[in-house]
Amino acid sequence: MVVGDISTGTDVLVIGAGPGGYVAAIRAGQLDLDVTLVEKDAYGGTCLNYGCIPSKAMITASDLAHEAGHAEEMGIYADPEVEMGEMVGWKDGVVDQLTGGVEKLCKANGVELMEGRAEFAGENSARVVHGGDGQGAETVEFEHAIVSTGSRPIEVPGFDFGDEPVLDSRQALALAEVPESLVIVGAGYIGMELAGVFAKLGTDVTVVEMLDSVLPAYEDDLARPVKKNAESLGVDFHFGEAASGWEEAGDGITVATEDEDGEVSEFGAEKVLVAVGRDPVTDTLELSNAGVETTDAGFIETDDRARSNVEHVFAVGDVAGEPMLAHKASKEGQVAAEVIAGEPAALDYQAVPAAVFTDPEIATVGLTEAEADEEGFEPTVGQFPFNASGRALTTGHAEGFVRVVADEPSGFLLGAQIVGPEASELIAELGFAIEMGATLEDVASTIHTHPTLSEAVMEAAENALDHAIHTLNR
Amino acid sequence: MVREFKLPDVGEGVSEGEIVTWLVEEGDPVSEDQPVAEVETDKAIVEVPSPVNGTVREIIPGEGEVVPVGDVIITFDVEGEPVEDQTEGEAKRAGEADSEADAEPTAPDAGDSEEVSTGEGRVFAAPSARRLARELGVDIAAVEGSGPSGRVTDRDVRAAAEPGESSDTSDDGADERDEALAAAEEPVGDDVAATREQGAQPTTEDFSAPAESADRDRTLAAPATRRIADERGVDLNAVPATEQRDGEAFVTEQAVREYAEAQQRAQRADAAGSAGAGAESGERVERVQYKGVRKTIGEAMSNSKFTAPHVTHHDTAVVDELVATRERLKPRADEQGIRLTYMPFVMKAVVAALKRHPKLNAELDEEAGEILRKNYYNVGVATATDAGLMVPVVENVDGKGLLQISSEVNELVQKARDRSIAREELQGSTFTVTNFGAIGGEYATPILNHPEVGILGIGELKQRPVVEDGEVVAKHTLPISLTIDHRIVDGADAAAFANTFMEYVENPELLLLE
Repeated sequence: MVVGDISTGTDVLVIGAGPGGYVAAIRAGQLDLDVTLVEKDAYGGTCLNYGCIPSKAMITASDLAHEAGHAEEMGIYADPEVEMGEMVGWKDGVVDQLTGGVEKLCKANGVELMEGRAEFAGENSARVVHGGDGQGAETVEFEHAIVSTGSRPIEVPGFDFGDEPVLDSRQALALAEVPESLVIVGAGYIGMELAGVFAKLGTDVTVVEMLDSVLPAYEDDLARPVKKNAESLGVDFHFGEAASGWEEAGDGITVATEDEDGEVSEFGAEKVLVAVGRDPVTDTLELSNAGVETTDAGFIETDDRARSNVEHVFAVGDVAGEPMLAHKASKEGQVAAEVIAGEPAALDYQAVPAAVFTDPEIATVGLTEAEADEEGFEPTVGQFPFNASGRALTTGHAEGFVRVVADEPSGFLLGAQIVGPEASELIAELGFAIEMGATLEDVASTIHTHPTLSEAVMEAAENALDHAIHTLNR
Repeated sequence: MVREFKLPDVGEGVSEGEIVTWLVEEGDPVSEDQPVAEVETDKAIVEVPSPVNGTVREIIPGEGEVVPVGDVIITFDVEGEPVEDQTEGEAKRAGEADSEADAEPTAPDAGDSEEVSTGEGRVFAAPSARRLARELGVDIAAVEGSGPSGRVTDRDVRAAAEPGESSDTSDDGADERDEALAAAEEPVGDDVAATREQGAQPTTEDFSAPAESADRDRTLAAPATRRIADERGVDLNAVPATEQRDGEAFVTEQAVREYAEAQQRAQRADAAGSAGAGAESGERVERVQYKGVRKTIGEAMSNSKFTAPHVTHHDTAVVDELVATRERLKPRADEQGIRLTYMPFVMKAVVAALKRHPKLNAELDEEAGEILRKNYYNVGVATATDAGLMVPVVENVDGKGLLQISSEVNELVQKARDRSIAREELQGSTFTVTNFGAIGGEYATPILNHPEVGILGIGELKQRPVVEDGEVVAKHTLPISLTIDHRIVDGADAAAFANTFMEYVENPELLLLE
């Protein structure tokens, strides 16, 4: 113990107040545990402050600006003027409201909040170093710890996020002005979502991707409409090229890329956004002091109770492995808290939904047809195109489709993939159906409101049963 | 040495056959090629010959059983080779029979075919049921589900956790099985079945009177359960509820199945109970299996009718000349022992018309996107038999004379009727003639013998009023009904074909030019 440290004791120490940590803390509080939640930066973590929420705010705002200016087909003529500073201000207001709410909820559930960066000092103790000069540190003795420190953007060699023209996603969502031009390194979901935002705000966007397609984690037919739409917004794609460095050139910069054969290309832009993935934050925790092991990639391996290799240390969210999704983190946080309280909780979900807020949106849950086949099912699929949906046509967004994957002999739903309007909302029904052990017949026999996009879900299930009404059955 | 004999592929595309009759018994000596069984495939009855000289060792499927091609149906001890005690196959079959007998009382669900394909380690159950299983310390993977397609419900989990029963359901099954078998050993007829049924219930408490009607106003059930109730003709409000949800009765798929079965048993019991009266009045509905030739016909008809858009063209030929010609030729044919009907004339006229209108002697290959025009003329003759419709084929009608056609048709029809016709003799037609008029009637709407694109129906040939030079006179007329596949034959083609055909049957001497 360092001289000057104050010592406190707690049942549960939660490290990191993102959607994994704050949910774990609130749940533990509900279960009458004595909880301390340590956060070094901002309540709500990356999700609320720099990720999910601000990006969705900016996507909605840029969509609105773009759509208002491109609705001549509906007889609407407008040329909206975007004040970037005000837009970002609005977004910050939304974020503040949510993070304030998290703080209030924690307090209301008896969670002790502590600012600072935690590191393990022993099996049952941690030091919390408070921010700022002379703030000191204190030691927390704990019975159980939940690690929920999240992840940080990966830096590409040659691109230092400390340099002014080099942006990570967080900085890109807080710009004071709309950049004239932008190079985005990485065509994953963050790169593609932000490519859409800036292209709609009028930025000349160039996307450089090392692999050979956009959204390489998703099936081709899901990614294709996204790429097509981005191209129609003027986004310029370069595949099979890795960003190698940048230099100042006149008012802006030049970003250099290299392909497999060493061929160098250069792209001029005002700024460069690097979004090539995220690494777990476990290197600042002194995990070894508590005996907690990590994988080579830095993840903490956990069992179906969210437990690490050390019985009383749990890990939830991005640090516990892919997929790095806020809702997965929250579920793990809940389970960890309940397990600590002695409840029979477990991570026994059948499927984790995921959404990409590109234009059009992509959302998936459960197994693809190929995955179902690999797992030994006899998959059957049903598909329904949005251009056969009345509601989709009336929104002016009728690209994409709903696809369901089921086990043919039993009819059990195994997975679903959606690309199209409100895919992120539509996937919820299918996630629920899969968790409930519902069959194609259950979904097909459930009346869906007309006219809504959700009818496409029902029709896709009917299509798998060869009796969809509004599309031709295979 | 034991020779196992598998049901052979008795014809192109046949995947299964029904054992109609065993012509031998176990222990009978047989010689090579001696028929041992009659097997009905989807087209005909064929005899299965013994492959060896020897003795029949074991007959496996019973008469009336449907067996897939490739399954062992009979074994022989081959002459001159030592006799074995038990072969591997016999041991396996014996084992299967045992396990089937065991499994029967523990598997009350008829939904075997609905089981999940595999999907290792996956349990289909609602999150609430999974949580309950953890609370009750039940391994949910070992619980047999009673929900749709075997979904594990709260109730299944609770049943698995009930005191007195181990949480491992396979053990439960064993207990019930023992009980059922013990009861079954007492030879008391119907009671045995009743005891077995009871033993088969995973939980008998909630289910003491499955046949009793519940008569509620409102019942909750999953959509899949409702569908099964519809299919089985069960009123959900009458099914005893196994659970409550939100204060309302909730019915599971298993409850519906059990209720339906109980109802059927009750009906059978009623029928048996009033045996005297029942025998006189007979059953209101007799259930006849849809299989074999009947099913083949049905499937072929559906396939044809729902694949090809049918159009039927009707007309009437005035055929006094044809009647006279046949009258003149008939004694000549009789001299050669051949009964000359009108059919050969019709067939020759059809071929003459097909030559002029090749669009009707064709086939549409949809996959290849091609129309196949056939330069040969095999005419099928639709024939009513006791087993149903068959279409024997006369090949190369263009190259055969009237008498030869006549004798071939007579022979084929006879073979079809006594079901000795070979598969090949029922295949390969390019156009079909159906003589529904032989039974009576003027016009019909024949269904194409798919993939052919034309079929000519012949009505009854008899005297009818015809207007000639403004006068109504009696003439022999032949009504025709020509159906075509409108995808590749148009109505104008059909009419043109019909006109040519009629020209030939009205002026049979034109056939001399063919």
